Amino acid sequence: MKLTGFFKSWEFMLAMVLVIELVVLGLINPAFLNIENLLFSTSDFVHVIIAAVGLTLVIMTGGIDISGVSIMGLASIVLGLMFVAGMPIGFAVIAALAVGSGAGAFNGTVIAKTDINPLVVTLAMLFLYSGIATGLPTLLDMLGFKAYGAGGFEAYQYEGIGGLPKSFTWIGAGGIGWVPMPLIITVLIAVVASYLMTRTRFGRFLKLIGVSDQVARFTGVPVQRTLITVYALNGFAAAVAGLVLTAYFTSARSDLGAEALLNIITAVVLGGSSIYGGQGSVLGTFLAGLVLGFLRQGLLALGITSDVVPVIVGLLLIGSVALKIGMGVLHTKRANRAAYETERMAVAQNGG
Amino acid sequence: MMRILKSREFLVLVLLVVMILSVATVNKAVLYPITLINILNSSLFLMLLAIGQMFVVLTRGIDVSVGATAGLSAVIFGFALNAGLPLPLAMLAALVTGLLGGMVNGLGVAFVGIPPIIMTLGTLGAYRGLMRVLTGGSWIESIPQNIKSFAVTRYLSVPLMVWTMVAVVIVVALLLWKLKPARYFYAVGDNYDGAYLLGINVKMTRFWAFSLAGAFAGAAAVVFVGQIGFVPMQTGNGQELKAIAAVVLGGVSLMGGTGSIWSAVIGALFLTAVDSMMIFLKVPGSWNNAVAGFVLLAVVVFDFLIRRTVRNRRLAARAAEMRRSELDHDGAGAPALVQTPEATS
Amino acid sequence: MPDDMTQNAPVVALRGIWKVFESVTVLRGIDFDIHAGEVHALLGGNGSGKSTIVKIISGAYRPTAGTIEVSGMAQSFSRPSEAHAQGIYMVPQEPQIFPNLSVRENLLMGLVGDPVENAERARGIADEIGLAADFNAPGGELSIANQQLIEIVRGLLRKARVLILDEPTSSLTRREVTSLAAQMRSLTARGIGILFISHRLNEVIDLSDRVSVLRDGHFVLEDATANLTTEKLVEAMLPADFSAPVEQETAAATALGTKPVLAVRGLSSRVFREASFEVYPGEVVGISGVVGAGRTELAEAIFGIDTDARGEVVIDGNTAPVRSPQICQEMGLSYVPEDRHAHGIFLDLPSAHTISSSLMALGRSRFMAAAKEMELAETFVERLRIKLASPMQYARTLSGGNQQKIVLAKILAPAPRVVILDEPTRGIDAHARQDVYRIIRTLTADGVGVVVISSEVGEIAEVSDRIMVMKRGNLVELPAGVRSVEQISAATFDTNGEVTA
Repeated sequence: MKLTGFFKSWEFMLAMVLVIELVVLGLINPAFLNIENLLFSTSDFVHVIIAAVGLTLVIMTGGIDISGVSIMGLASIVLGLMFVAGMPIGFAVIAALAVGSGAGAFNGTVIAKTDINPLVVTLAMLFLYSGIATGLPTLLDMLGFKAYGAGGFEAYQYEGIGGLPKSFTWIGAGGIGWVPMPLIITVLIAVVASYLMTRTRFGRFLKLIGVSDQVARFTGVPVQRTLITVYALNGFAAAVAGLVLTAYFTSARSDLGAEALLNIITAVVLGGSSIYGGQGSVLGTFLAGLVLGFLRQGLLALGITSDVVPVIVGLLLIGSVALKIGMGVLHTKRANRAAYETERMAVAQNGG
Repeated sequence: MMRILKSREFLVLVLLVVMILSVATVNKAVLYPITLINILNSSLFLMLLAIGQMFVVLTRGIDVSVGATAGLSAVIFGFALNAGLPLPLAMLAALVTGLLGGMVNGLGVAFVGIPPIIMTLGTLGAYRGLMRVLTGGSWIESIPQNIKSFAVTRYLSVPLMVWTMVAVVIVVALLLWKLKPARYFYAVGDNYDGAYLLGINVKMTRFWAFSLAGAFAGAAAVVFVGQIGFVPMQTGNGQELKAIAAVVLGGVSLMGGTGSIWSAVIGALFLTAVDSMMIFLKVPGSWNNAVAGFVLLAVVVFDFLIRRTVRNRRLAARAAEMRRSELDHDGAGAPALVQTPEATS
Repeated sequence: MPDDMTQNAPVVALRGIWKVFESVTVLRGIDFDIHAGEVHALLGGNGSGKSTIVKIISGAYRPTAGTIEVSGMAQSFSRPSEAHAQGIYMVPQEPQIFPNLSVRENLLMGLVGDPVENAERARGIADEIGLAADFNAPGGELSIANQQLIEIVRGLLRKARVLILDEPTSSLTRREVTSLAAQMRSLTARGIGILFISHRLNEVIDLSDRVSVLRDGHFVLEDATANLTTEKLVEAMLPADFSAPVEQETAAATALGTKPVLAVRGLSSRVFREASFEVYPGEVVGISGVVGAGRTELAEAIFGIDTDARGEVVIDGNTAPVRSPQICQEMGLSYVPEDRHAHGIFLDLPSAHTISSSLMALGRSRFMAAAKEMELAETFVERLRIKLASPMQYARTLSGGNQQKIVLAKILAPAPRVVILDEPTRGIDAHARQDVYRIIRTLTADGVGVVVISSEVGEIAEVSDRIMVMKRGNLVELPAGVRSVEQISAATFDTNGEVTA
């Protein structure tokens, strides 16, 4: 009982870790604790949190989607290409989000309708979407679409598409008061996802499927439809992450976010989600994402090379899972022993 | 014989040949021996990673750290050479680095019980970070250029490395086929509980699968550094996913137990050939990933459809067998039994 | 033969074995032994602890307390290979086949010694016991009967002195059963002891020398088969508080004037053929049948899990051309699956989540507030007398009986017109069993139609108004007067002595 209480407060632990982290870093370098700096420094890494929130929903069902990082780039380049093709930026944003959701829904459809491991499906999609993202400019040229500038769409393939309108880049650089837009968007997405997960039927379905898709099916949960929807939502979140990053860098690129995969999955797992499904929280993911993000910022502020960051992140990922496994084993052993003693006693008393 | 023809390896091999031949109708240069040899040569790195990956996937695991392990091994290889170690010793150092990297994965997965994807994703970050920490983030150049000698040496106009690879593949194939403990990889992946019940040390088997994946990544690092003559920071970047794609494409099921070294070899060749074919077709290289992803998706979905058909047929056959047996015996039939209770009671 | 055998020390003996899983006690200090050259049959209802005994003897589980003796020496097995080394081999209910490896490798996997020599021995043993299979073909292509023979050869290759056959006949055709019986005789003639588990009582009578009956984690009967009859075995397997059913007149009252709540007409699938029956409001239709007879497949076809079945199903007067669990529940049909853990209950969630899951799936409550969910759960906790600390207690930590009541709560929450209960008392204690029967009576009093599927004949006799038997894919209704345990047993099990052939 004590142990489940402990795991229920996993988010609380993360919050404590975050506070300690900030305090320690602040003690070493007081400049770090300047609220405005602190808030604006999140813009460097919130795209990880946005994508991780989407992935939390997917991992809740016991699945996984590693193609999100490709969808980030795909959404970014779709936005850029629509822009240079002369479309209004608002339309380009909607198109990019639609492409991301569609890509996710496609993942979900293949996963729901076949028994192929989600990891394999989304590995193929990882290549497919990143390939489409890099190949799209030349394809548009071949199809004869017209772009601004001399070199056609292909000219934008490698250096990225700059010159995006202020109304869009404001999403990346602007803010309301001290709070930067990327953080606002992240919090918004996290709140909506958290609401979906804890307050709606859909969120409960995710959990039920994650604990047992077979029991869910026998109970009448629309398993396939739920899976397709959740992968679509993940695609949507990845697209949002891609657009936020695009606005922040003021440049649309097809390879945006490619290295984020480790951080995204670590944020989800460190946030308390079980890779086997049925367990996890959006709040946990959000906090874990902040812990990881500030860790990097802090180390940089301390003048430590950022090269050790992935080492620490990797160890955190492995360590947090190993810790959970160890405590689970102990718990089961104790419970079985206790049950045996009770039964034994009962039998002895009955003289049997 | 039929079994070979029906195998996934063969299917992908046919696809490969068809692809090369159809590209040849557009550009004959594809069929020049030098082209084919070059494809072979440039597939070596991926092939070694894929062979290592095969062991892990056979046992129903997955290793996304092999690229990073190769990178780390390459750095150690470079250091060793720059420190003046003789080539064989430096090679050994790279192999041992890879082996150790794999053993860490094996420990975590087999003995602690961490899910493979989590464990190897963690070490992916750790090894790649370690690689940068060791080198301070800069490339290792100024490697004694004699190491390139074994990369450029050719017999019968085929690079020495390709010959070595052929030997390695044959040896591994023989071992996998004949060596009893090597068959444990298959048994553990095919039926984990069954293997355990039959007395196979399933944990040790999984441990060695990851260790071998690491060792092969070390070997891949040697090939890579030999071919380009320096150690860039990107060594092995993203290659882990390609290695997984290669073995899955070649017919190693992520559900374990199926596939062979030929899966890894043909899968790696196919993915490398796709890149080359794009060049001959003058398709921009930017489409390579899309094609690779599409092929992988198409093959696994096709494979799913075949498996489903086979399974349905087998169930139907069994039901028919049951029914025939019923007809043979049921002279009396079920309703007659209802009359008998009086006799028994 | 058994008489002179019992003089010797047993090959394997269990002394005071306890086993606790996930806080649930499965075995309560049992003693059990197997002698050379005998067939010792182990009987018991589902969940009585049979398979746990088997797994302890074969080294797959370690007992929580108690000792294992082999030829009089205390042993402790921490893995199956250690039991193999002591000459104990289990042929599991589902043969452990490597589908992608060759038959030869399937036979030799895990064996020490020279492979060529082993292969020759395997060939010899295979010929001897009649395993006719291409050694180079993949294991996945073997028939079930041959898969079982593979397991027996594996045991003999390990020079087993004790073979454990865990329900070897449940998925075999009659011809295959006959041939297996012959194998068993030749094995015991060679001095091998066999622990035999079967649901088919006539097979037990025909093939065994000694029978032990397990109920709720301890033995209630042990005797030489010569002193036993199928009737005595049935009696021993019945729950302690079982009372012979009173002849009820309820069935007659149901049919007149009322429309059936469930009508199945000519439903066929791969496993069963042309099943037809009707269920009227307020009656209990019992479907008796052994494991593998097709009764669960029938339920799954009705409930829309198996979508390939052909035939007509009418629920509460409405035909359902396309069925899914959602559609069926929407129309008023609910189903308690046979395999509680795999299909019925969300083990790793609070119990309240399972109880509310069907209502959520039906969409009758879009946003179920936590308070409302608790209220629903508490209503059912009270109504079904579920014992738990709080509705938020995880289902995994509950006893089998309470888990089953939670599944019942789940399927009753949408207020169905007709329910199918597949093995509703499997693996639950006598007290909970009476509670389940009480729930069934409450349902019928409210006019709900109930179908009870069970392999326990006593249960069918106790709860049913009308009785049907599913045997090898054929569903037949017993005449109105035929309802004693003996009569149902005779119709359910193969008691016509064919197996002795």
